[in-house]
Amino acid sequence: MSWKNIRLIFVKELVGTIRDRRTIIAMIIIPLIFYPLLFTGIGYFNKLGSMKSEEATSNIIIYGAEFAPQLVKYFQGNEKIEILNIKENSSSKLENGDVQAVLEIPSDFKYKIEQGGAGVLILKYDATEAKSRIAQKRINQIIEKYKGEIVLQRLSHLGLKEEFITPLILKEENIATAEKIAGSFLAVLLPYLIIILIFIGAMHTAVDLTAGEKERGTIATLLVSQISRLEIVLGKCFAVMFISFTSMVLGLLGLTLAFLSGASIAGGIEGAKFGISINTIFLIFLVLLPLVGLASAVLVMVGIFARNIREASSYITPIYMLTIFLGIISISQGIELTSKMFLVPVLNSSFVFKELLMGKICWDHIITTFSANTIIAGFALLESTRLFTKEEVLFRS
Amino acid sequence: MIQVEGLTKIFKDKKRGKVVAINNLKFECQKGQIFGLLGPNGAGKTTTLRILATMMVPTQGKAEVNGFDVVKDANKVRRHIGFLSSETGLYDRFTPRETVKFFGRINGIEDKIIEKRMAEIFRNLDMEDFQDVRVNKLSTGMKQKLSIARSIIHNPPILILDEPTVGLDIITARTVIEYVKKFKEEGKCIIYSTHIMREAEKLCDVIAIIHQGNIIAKGTLEELKKNSLSDDLEEIFFGLINQGENLK
Repeated sequence: MSWKNIRLIFVKELVGTIRDRRTIIAMIIIPLIFYPLLFTGIGYFNKLGSMKSEEATSNIIIYGAEFAPQLVKYFQGNEKIEILNIKENSSSKLENGDVQAVLEIPSDFKYKIEQGGAGVLILKYDATEAKSRIAQKRINQIIEKYKGEIVLQRLSHLGLKEEFITPLILKEENIATAEKIAGSFLAVLLPYLIIILIFIGAMHTAVDLTAGEKERGTIATLLVSQISRLEIVLGKCFAVMFISFTSMVLGLLGLTLAFLSGASIAGGIEGAKFGISINTIFLIFLVLLPLVGLASAVLVMVGIFARNIREASSYITPIYMLTIFLGIISISQGIELTSKMFLVPVLNSSFVFKELLMGKICWDHIITTFSANTIIAGFALLESTRLFTKEEVLFRS
Repeated sequence: MIQVEGLTKIFKDKKRGKVVAINNLKFECQKGQIFGLLGPNGAGKTTTLRILATMMVPTQGKAEVNGFDVVKDANKVRRHIGFLSSETGLYDRFTPRETVKFFGRINGIEDKIIEKRMAEIFRNLDMEDFQDVRVNKLSTGMKQKLSIARSIIHNPPILILDEPTVGLDIITARTVIEYVKKFKEEGKCIIYSTHIMREAEKLCDVIAIIHQGNIIAKGTLEELKKNSLSDDLEEIFFGLINQGENLK
């Protein structure tokens, strides 16, 4: 085996891939330009929408205002609430969006309050409309305030203090550091994103360099050269690994930019401070490498086996779905893997990433994951080389 | 330079069972000679040439290229052959210079020698004007010239050409034929497969007519004419095929 030959294939595949316009679009334009623009746009319009709803005055109708003059005074004193004097069908007004909420006060309300009973109020609103939800929130706040006042009055009548009805006060302290908050937030999404980005990055290139080469008839020219089958497979696999890894890094960078630009507009995440230690990054890379190798080797193997690009794509679809499924398991909260489960490729990496991002370093998990993925990637490479020597695979039509 | 003895290839097909692609072939080709394999599609020409080019392994029999066995010494065989077929493609995103350089390198040639030979080949094939244009922008003729350049950059003494003019217009096909003649003059040993009678007539020193995996006649054009009492290769060809069908 000659590293010079492997490098020749690697460089040729890399140059060919980079010169493909589709690669540039998928690797650079989509993650670095499209994602940030998309997230900025979403953030901007979300904020614009919520600002408009928050600023707008809520038009409400109160039926039976005369039965609760004290409460109505509270409403009248609120700048963001406009009480409309409408007697006709309120339901249609609510449906049309002319009014955002309707409050019904029964005739016995005042009597019940004075007698120390509970006055029942009916609030009608449309939960599917943002403006109506805001009106409901505003009305609730006013009612809570009024309720608090009634409680205080009742207590003072009985000669009791406010503490009488709040005998326990629980003070909570969150000991999680800002980094840990950020880590736990990242640990939910990042492993899944890494795995998906690795696969997406490797997929197109792996198929193009194998089944694509068969389809274009260029494979025969390589087979009659001095380069061995193993060198061809390794050169191709390393090129797929490089593209896959770069796509993943650019994808994450794009998503970070997108997230930051979207979040800065929407207000950011409270209490989160993003910072991962060098050690964690090193360990993530250590686990990442065999995973990239595994994805590339398996996809190269499938690509070599397939007759053409179309067939390769149809073989890869279920593999991709399985990867998404294994990735999704890592998103689910509360699932813990047994030691043996760390032998399952993809699943193992996603859980080790999760642990690392949460600040946990379990060496047995890291070693099992690293070894399992490396061994499976090695098998896929050997199988790819074997397929490359099988004429019934190479010349299937 | 090429010796084939009892060469047989049997494929296993799910639907058709065992398919004998070539059966007990025997021929040889010397330095400075063009050996033609003439036959219709599916006759076994490509399978024979793929075995000689070490891409396939024979089921039975033996083939030697420049003294090396195509199975046992496949790597040494590859060093001595240039392979060109109508099906071999080119890398669209590379220029002719890059393509030829790459194939020179993967055949173990030093960069200095590649540069020298490349300049010579480009001059001879009249490729200098488009040597830095990407392949996807080249015409069919230009591409075929590049395919030739690619297959001879390592200066192989033996050329295996599998229907190199299929799909080409007459001008490009003529250019290819001219170059094959030139390679013969240079003393190369050439195996040339075709289904075009005129090409076989014009080029080949020895013609083997292959049908359903068997060589049904072999000899110089004169010998074939003499044996079949016809002056026209096409007539000879169809006469032999019909004979074979009747014998069945």
